[in-house]
Amino acid sequence: MKKRFLSIALVSIMVTAAISGCGNPEVANDTPVTEAPSSDNSGGEAADNNAAADAVQNLINATTDPVDLTVWASEEDQEFTQGVLEDFKALYPDVTFNITLGAESESTAKDTVLSDVEAAADVYTFAHDQINDLVNAGALQEVQATYTYDVATANVETSVEAASVGGKLYAYPMTADNGYFMFYDSSVIKDPSNLEAMIEDAKAAGKKIAIQFNNGWYLYSFFKAVGLEATLNDDGKTNTCTWNEAGGTDVCQAILDAVATGAVVNMDDGTTVTGIKDGTVCAAVNGIWNAQVAADAWGENYQAAKLPTMHIGDKDCQLSSYSGFKLVGVNPHTKNMGWSMLLAEYLTSEEVQTERFEARNLGPSNINAAASDAVKNDKAISALAAQAPYSTPQVIGGNYWSPAETLGQILASGNPDNTDLQKLLDTAVEGINAPVSE
Amino acid sequence: MVNYRYYQHKHKPKKQRRKLSYSPKASKIPKEPRVNPIVAFFKELGECLSNGSLFIKLSTVFMGLGHIYNCQFIKGLLVFGVQALYIVYMIFGAAPNLAKFSTLGTVKREAIFDPITMQNTVNDYDNSFTILLGSVCALFITFLFFLFWASNIKSMYETQKLIESRKHVNTFREDFKEILGNKFHVTLLTFPVIGVILMNIIPILILVAVAFTNYDQNHLPPSELFTWVGFRNFVKLFTQTTTSSFGYAFRKILEWTFLWAFFATVSNFILGHLIALLINSKLIKIKRFWRTLFIVTIAVPQFVTLLLVRNFFADSGLFNSICSNIGLTAFLQNIGLVSKNISYIPFLTSPGWAKFMIVLINIWVGIPYQILISTGILLNIPRDQIEAAMIDRASPYQIFKNVTMPYVMFVEGPTLVTDFVRNINNFNIIYLLTQDVYVTTDQALANSHGKEVDLLVTWLFRLTNEYYDYKMASVIGVIVFSICSVFTILSFSRIVAGEREEVFM
Repeated sequence: MKKRFLSIALVSIMVTAAISGCGNPEVANDTPVTEAPSSDNSGGEAADNNAAADAVQNLINATTDPVDLTVWASEEDQEFTQGVLEDFKALYPDVTFNITLGAESESTAKDTVLSDVEAAADVYTFAHDQINDLVNAGALQEVQATYTYDVATANVETSVEAASVGGKLYAYPMTADNGYFMFYDSSVIKDPSNLEAMIEDAKAAGKKIAIQFNNGWYLYSFFKAVGLEATLNDDGKTNTCTWNEAGGTDVCQAILDAVATGAVVNMDDGTTVTGIKDGTVCAAVNGIWNAQVAADAWGENYQAAKLPTMHIGDKDCQLSSYSGFKLVGVNPHTKNMGWSMLLAEYLTSEEVQTERFEARNLGPSNINAAASDAVKNDKAISALAAQAPYSTPQVIGGNYWSPAETLGQILASGNPDNTDLQKLLDTAVEGINAPVSE
Repeated sequence: MVNYRYYQHKHKPKKQRRKLSYSPKASKIPKEPRVNPIVAFFKELGECLSNGSLFIKLSTVFMGLGHIYNCQFIKGLLVFGVQALYIVYMIFGAAPNLAKFSTLGTVKREAIFDPITMQNTVNDYDNSFTILLGSVCALFITFLFFLFWASNIKSMYETQKLIESRKHVNTFREDFKEILGNKFHVTLLTFPVIGVILMNIIPILILVAVAFTNYDQNHLPPSELFTWVGFRNFVKLFTQTTTSSFGYAFRKILEWTFLWAFFATVSNFILGHLIALLINSKLIKIKRFWRTLFIVTIAVPQFVTLLLVRNFFADSGLFNSICSNIGLTAFLQNIGLVSKNISYIPFLTSPGWAKFMIVLINIWVGIPYQILISTGILLNIPRDQIEAAMIDRASPYQIFKNVTMPYVMFVEGPTLVTDFVRNINNFNIIYLLTQDVYVTTDQALANSHGKEVDLLVTWLFRLTNEYYDYKMASVIGVIVFSICSVFTILSFSRIVAGEREEVFM
């Protein structure tokens, strides 16, 4: 008896030892590196070039220990980013950097970052639709000052909007090509300007037009085309969706009609790629990430354009779209705030954006970089530019996705239960607008 | 292949066996009235305290005192040491957390950026999760410490009694030797117990605690605080309001979870057992080859198989092109099993088909295990019982019904229960087959981020992983945990009745 309890006591001691570490109150880990010698122009604006240069110089002077940074970039960008990081190190020869590059897709960055903000990378890239959740969770450092270039004026206005929440800039725009447009096989589709003509062409050739209805990201374009909204409220959490108002049922009917022709088919990314490769798909509403597949498959006949118009109700409406941007964010829990910000600026600078387009064919958000002839001649990027007037940056709360996905699925499968369209919309809107529980 | 072990109850008449195995009441031995172990524990403790010497009474505050009085100096010092450690831990480690345990923190993180030094100045903020974790650990350690404290008093009292009756009292060296000798099993058990505490008990306690907080996407530490909300999350799970369809989704998903667990368990058991019987039959040649063939399926990692199968059965996948080529799709459309609006069989994309396919695919990946188990059991069926039955001219069916099956059920009963519980939590099959493929058309389910094919556990995973709704996920976790415990306890107490063993052995 005695010994058994002794063993329990042993256990308790060991558990104490193991756990006492986590019992300590959180110590703010954003400890200042060293107090920088106060600069002469302490009242000066940070945006002022001199002050900015001074701040950077002070940072260099204050940095005595090696700077450890972790950077996350997508799997495909690893090689390119590694090169950029080397260039960055070369810019500051007096400082020793230990920069670790990790692979994390822009589309899933949020999931990984939010699972443990403090353990996430110091600088990471992400798709701009995640910005609200990241800001809500305190995973992005507000960009209150810039040092090497002015983020707000150097980039396209929409990209700066997309990188801001509530009027405050929280990230550095990196690319402006993350939206969707249409690419098609010009040997089949003669007139890409309206969906009805496309359907005729596709039918005649016995081919399909791939649109992913059961994804809120694409479904948005049809409702927005008639002016119905789905946006995030000012609280940054709940949504306002007006799809069930006048005109909503017309949109549903138009989608049902399009699907009923048999030429417009609901396909996810994987199926679309397979369809393009095996020749069953002749046009797709999709993004730049799949455009290369189509370009390879269709060769000379590969063309890209803005989304077509669609006959909704009794008029032709230009399909709208979500524009998408990839952004670079700085983790507010980083131990090297100054260097993280400088690195984020460098990763999104005009020079690196130009290099990124040349190496990876990603459309720049930087105004100067985007103005180059090479960028303008790129079919996909010019199609995105043509779509730009009809697109809005995607800003929507998490409750949007499941209900929109289901609505799209019901419409894409031809409303099998023949539910009243208004009721379908009402239920979907109810889910989308649902209050986020406190 | 036949096991020729000698069985003691070889000649036991059949009648008696039936009686024993089928009427548990008859074999019940009257037991002593049960004393609640908690009551007994405190009773014993009270006895120690009232009958113990003054030093034992003082030991309630200064823990090693009684040992030292009994001349067990090293032990006394060690116990003092543990107490000191505990006090130090409580003051410096646990107290700051426990102080905020009732609110889970009040100071939100605020950072002020200084553009000149390029640094954030951060206030001394509270991290709700750290507070929760630290407090739960502290409470748990306090509980362990209390057990230690009580056992210490009892041990002193034991020693006191030994001294009073002038018997030998173990020296520290003897105690130590005993731990490595006679009571080595206690020492050995220490490490698994530590493992269980760190890996199971603490996380479960945290899970239960989170179920009573508002820990979700809007309250993610370290930037935001979360706090206690009482039973609100449980209420939310069981009610359906205009703004929340959690109640509806929970009911639908719970129904399917049970249905699935039942079908998955029963189908695997029956089919796996039948195949094992078949392979075991005298008519089948090259038994080893057939057995190996089935076992090979186990060797391939399940997720590889499942992801491949998911692609095979995709709407534009391999199976669909085969089916439409041989005209199966058209046939199914004609008899009304497939909607005429679509040109493929929605294997994994319509609720009915998906559920059917999931059970079917589960049979395919699951029965090799069942075959293994059943083969083992079949090879161990007491041969003499079958021979006796054959002498009695029992038909093969009668032998199967009266000899083989009762024996198999006796051995397999516990496995069936664990299988059922495992299937309630069978994450792999459902998640890997339907994730990114299955889109629900039930809007009420979609509004709660659920799907018709979801099990409670996959729903839980989606809520945590995609919506960071830790509070609801914890509630579901608690519910799954309770369901599984109830099933396990109930079934084990009924099926694994120890007294039945002698029937067969």
